[in-house]
Amino acid sequence: MNTKILKIGLLALISLFFNDAIFAQTAKEIAYKVYNRKTPDSGQSDMTMTLINKKGKERVRSLHQFFIDEGDTEKKIMFFKSPADVKNTSFMNWTYDDTSEDDDQWLFLPALKKVKRISNSSKDNEFMGSDFTYEDMERRSPEKDNHKLLREETLNGDDCWVMEVTPKEEEQYSKKIGWISKEKEIPVKVEFYDEDGDLLKVLNIQDFEHIDGYWIATKQLMENVQKNHKTTIELTHLKINIGLQSSKFTQRAMQKGL
Amino acid sequence: MKYLFLFIFSISFFIGTAQENEESNKIEFNGFVRNYMGVFTQSPNDFSIFQNTVNLEIKQQNDKIGFYANPYLYHYANKPIEWRLREMYVDFFTNKMDIRIGKQQIIWGQADGVFITDIVTPKDLSEFLLRDFNEIRTGINAVKANYYFNDENSLELVWIPQFTSTKPPGPGSNWYFTLPFPVKPTFHLEKKNIPLRLENGEFFARYSLNNSWIDLQLMGGYTWDDDPALHMMRTKDTMTGVLKIDITPEHHRMALFGGSFSTDVAGFILRGESAYYLDKYFQNPFVKEAVVQKDYLNYVVGLDKTIGDWRLSAQFIQKRILDYDEDIFFNEVENLATLLVSKSMFREKLRVEWFTYFGITHIDAFSRLRAFYMPYDQVSIEMGTNLFVNSEFDLKPGDVPGLFGRYDKNDMIYTRVKYSF
Repeated sequence: MNTKILKIGLLALISLFFNDAIFAQTAKEIAYKVYNRKTPDSGQSDMTMTLINKKGKERVRSLHQFFIDEGDTEKKIMFFKSPADVKNTSFMNWTYDDTSEDDDQWLFLPALKKVKRISNSSKDNEFMGSDFTYEDMERRSPEKDNHKLLREETLNGDDCWVMEVTPKEEEQYSKKIGWISKEKEIPVKVEFYDEDGDLLKVLNIQDFEHIDGYWIATKQLMENVQKNHKTTIELTHLKINIGLQSSKFTQRAMQKGL
Repeated sequence: MKYLFLFIFSISFFIGTAQENEESNKIEFNGFVRNYMGVFTQSPNDFSIFQNTVNLEIKQQNDKIGFYANPYLYHYANKPIEWRLREMYVDFFTNKMDIRIGKQQIIWGQADGVFITDIVTPKDLSEFLLRDFNEIRTGINAVKANYYFNDENSLELVWIPQFTSTKPPGPGSNWYFTLPFPVKPTFHLEKKNIPLRLENGEFFARYSLNNSWIDLQLMGGYTWDDDPALHMMRTKDTMTGVLKIDITPEHHRMALFGGSFSTDVAGFILRGESAYYLDKYFQNPFVKEAVVQKDYLNYVVGLDKTIGDWRLSAQFIQKRILDYDEDIFFNEVENLATLLVSKSMFREKLRVEWFTYFGITHIDAFSRLRAFYMPYDQVSIEMGTNLFVNSEFDLKPGDVPGLFGRYDKNDMIYTRVKYSF
């Protein structure tokens, strides 16, 4: 009897282990599918960021951005267009596939008339006072997280995998729950949980464009449910695979402006 | 100057109207209007400044050519209106080269708040270091050419046909400072200005390397010393025995070379900058004409770090006169440090900043604590203090206090309200 119970228990444990292992494998595969999905080699767009406070008052920042993927390095350059006091300021960021290598960043302030290399902003810093952190706007390697497939469900007409993502090391979010569109292979909704495990922010992709075979989120809403303020980011005049050269991503280009 | 404004406006309006449908060729008008009020904290609490400013920037640019003008107006409560032109130039762009011709500010170096290799553009120090740095710098007529060998390497050449010296605070200003003389000297200014001649031009060159690992610049210049040497003649009246001092300020030719760098080290930005001056003139009251020539070194090392919403920056600066004579009026070594602490709050609506110069040699300081509140986009309300600290209370007659300690009585509070458009 005891042996039988032991065998059944062992089988149950093994099946549980394999079941989890299979799901974990699937979750990891999904994460890699999202991470390695086909992305444009280069592109540009206008970006309008609207900060909305709890009284509904809006502040708008607009900029024009260019990006290029050079294989092992992604380069981005942003030219601020408004508000007026930051107009013609430019910011350049180089991100490396080698996760051990920190980003390089430069800032050009027209009043100072020189480009300054700046210290890498903490990834959990707010981007331009918005509800997005620098990390929220970056591609994140699946190697940094553990992944768990929670369920599959339909959200706003999209068949989605619902995944729980927890960082392997302590970071700004204790976990994230993401709804990954099976068709578009990008998250259409993400819940961010703070260090205490409470819901902090919710990201909803409100609009997509399908350009040259790429699905691109063109309108995002990030809502901080604890502080009750939110931010929208909208991309317009989007052009991709336009054959940008690396010379567009230099200090010369930062100073020359748009 | 009024006609210059009208001309710029007319031309800009015409071109702007003609090309308003072409985004890339559109004339851009930007600028700001600002009120700036400052009060000395010491009784009787005089206004240190009461200034209204209009600053206009007009720009048009395409892939091949560009135009920029920066006229501005300072209106003071007790002085005539100042209309000036900070910059006005034309840019030509080619695949490998950019050329800029006209009145322009040329800013070099990696240091903040100190001028090491950043000596191409002279300064307007009529309000000491209190103006924003783009307002401290005076535009100069120059031709600047940048040649780009590739994305990383470039060479910059500058020719300045006409020498312009830094403008010191004038007599009557709260920032006026003069060397102590035993009797009131007579100044002879016939050699003060450098004639506008081809041979009197200034030349600068800079090589730059910019890549993911380092930003490096190497520079050299054949220029005029911004600080005039005070050639002094002492005579005694044979009848009365009264000492007479005649001083002839004169700018001298000077060569210098230097460099600067900036790189990321373990999340810190490490910066350095150095300039070596050959045969710079210094005052020595015990030699003929009271001037001697010495080589001179000026360098800075700095570290920057961003931690969350905090921005931290520290610099150490040293000036050293080489082959020093004991009687030279200035110290052989002058050490200075700066510290910046800045924090943004409330989704960047409020920024608090503390920037301090510490004079290590003289134990004096200039400390700026200020807050910027942005209630709306385009509006900035700045409130701050400028505090000068002097610990050299036992100065003897003839001793020169430190650069900051000499303004010990000029502590002030101020507000600046600025609307950008």
